[in-house]
Order: sequence, then structure tokens, then C-alpha cells
Amino acid sequence: MIQKKFLFNKIFFLFLMITLAGATVSNNSYAVEPEEFLKDPKQELRARDISKNVRCLVCQNQSIDESSAPLAKDLRMVIRNKITEGLTDKEIYKFLTDRYGDFILLNPPLKASTMILWALPFVLFFIALFVIYRHNKNSKLR
Amino acid sequence: MRKYFLSAPLIIFFCIMLVFFYFLIIERDPSELPSALINQKAPTFKTTTLFDNKPFIFEEESGQQVVIVNFFATWCIPCREEHPYISKLSKEENIAVIGVNYKDNPQKAIQWLNELGNPYSKVAVDSNGRIGLDWGVYGLPETFILSENNIIIYKQVGPITNEKYDDFIMHIKDGIK
Repeated sequence: MIQKKFLFNKIFFLFLMITLAGATVSNNSYAVEPEEFLKDPKQELRARDISKNVRCLVCQNQSIDESSAPLAKDLRMVIRNKITEGLTDKEIYKFLTDRYGDFILLNPPLKASTMILWALPFVLFFIALFVIYRHNKNSKLR
Repeated sequence: MRKYFLSAPLIIFFCIMLVFFYFLIIERDPSELPSALINQKAPTFKTTTLFDNKPFIFEEESGQQVVIVNFFATWCIPCREEHPYISKLSKEENIAVIGVNYKDNPQKAIQWLNELGNPYSKVAVDSNGRIGLDWGVYGLPETFILSENNIIIYKQVGPITNEKYDDFIMHIKDGIK
């Protein structure tokens, strides 16, 4: 009986480890291939940072850092080429948005046309706060 | 008044639901992206031609008349489907149709065009996809309409089909005006 319980614990522990391992692996599933790496680790890090913010236009909800689509690979290569050519991050983002529009950025830029997108969560938050405040005040009176 | 404020979140929730519902029912292809290059000057490029491997300089081929630039590849199945309509387009007056063979095997491309017929006045080779990248290409086939002064006036992502053909011709006429 004791042995059985012990076995159950062991199995539970195994599943827990597998789940945890799975979680970490999925967080690190990058599509970047070793031959793409830049020699300078600093530049490579910059390339990776930019890649994480750039949308793969084929799979759309993945960044090019995660996507193994051929277009994502081309974009990663272009970003690396631009870095070695000495372009700044801003210039690289501009290069990409000039060709593919703001949609290529996973974070929409703060502009007049996207103002509502950025402001709405705060507006809703304050409305909610106000409603809760009113509700509490009224229930205390009762 | 109090009741009104309490129902505010519910009202907002329903408004958001309505917006989502609207996007669900309108006919919209979420894979179709707005092009950043509309009303911009067409990106120039230099490469070689597919059939005779001669230099291809884009500026020399465009700018005198309305030019259609069609990105295609033999590995792209919708391109084959689109082919008859590109042929039909090439027979229209006052326009030139240029093909860009995107990330393809040149031998296969030549064979493909010999088999199906070559509708292009010239075929440029984009072996590594860099021309496509400059043109904001993300899914083949893509077809651009360039006005007489080399401005991109329209972009069609995906094949030109029977249903889309007349619409496409309308956009070409806008360029001739």
C-alpha cells in the first residue's frame, strides 16, 4: 500500500517535470537557425530584439523570431544585414514599415489613428473604478 | 441614476460585442493586408532576365505606359490558376506586363512558361526574394499596377480570378487617365 502511494507520487512528479519542461521549451522555441547568427554577440542580440517585435506576415500572430516561414527567414537576414551595415534600430524599423506598413510591428505605434487603441483600456478602467466607487458609496448609505 | 451607472459596464460590453460581430459578418479576408506602397513610387531594382540572362533594369522598362508587375513562381499553385488571366491581361491595349520570377528554379520557370505560354513582355529574376521584400511581397501571387509616372496605384494579393478580373481592369483604367 505504501509502495503504491510512493509510485503515485513518483508519477505525479514525472508529469510535473514534463509539464514544466514543456513550458520552458515552448518559451524558447525560436526559429533562428545557427548559420544566421552574427559573429558579434552584441549585434546578434540586437537582431533578436528587433526580430521579436516584427510580425511574420505569413503566419501573422507570430514574430519572425518564432516563425520558420521562408519570408520570416528573409526578414531576419535583412535585419542582420542592416545591422552589420551600421543602421540604427529606428532606421531598420523604418525600412520595414516603409515596405510592409505598421502591421509588421507587433506593437502598434502611438499615432493619432491608434490613439483610441491605447487610450481605451485606461478609459474603461476609470469608468469601472467610478462605477465601483458609486456602488460602494450607495451600499454604505443603505 | 445609480442603476444607470451600474449598467454602464454591461452596455460597454455589448458595444464591444457588436464591434466584434460586425467584423465577423463583413466579408473580409484577414490575410489581406493594406499595402504601404500604394501611391508611392515603385521601388527600382536591377537583376537579370529569365530567358536570356541579360541585365534587367527596372527604370528602363517602366514609366512610359501603365505597367503591370506580377510576382509569380512555379511552386505557387494559385499562380498557375491565375495564369490564363495574366495572358488575357497581356492582350489588353496600352499596357505592359512584367513578370518577376520569385525564389524559383530558372529552369523550371522557363519550362513552366513554355508549357503554359509566356504572357510577359519581360521576366525578371528574383532568386533570393530581395526584390519581393522591397516591394512588400508576402504571399504569391501578387500583382501591382503602376501608373504612367511609375506610381503604384493598386496591389492585388492572391490570384486574379474570373470574379476579380473586371475589377482589376477598372483599376488599370484609373492609371491610364
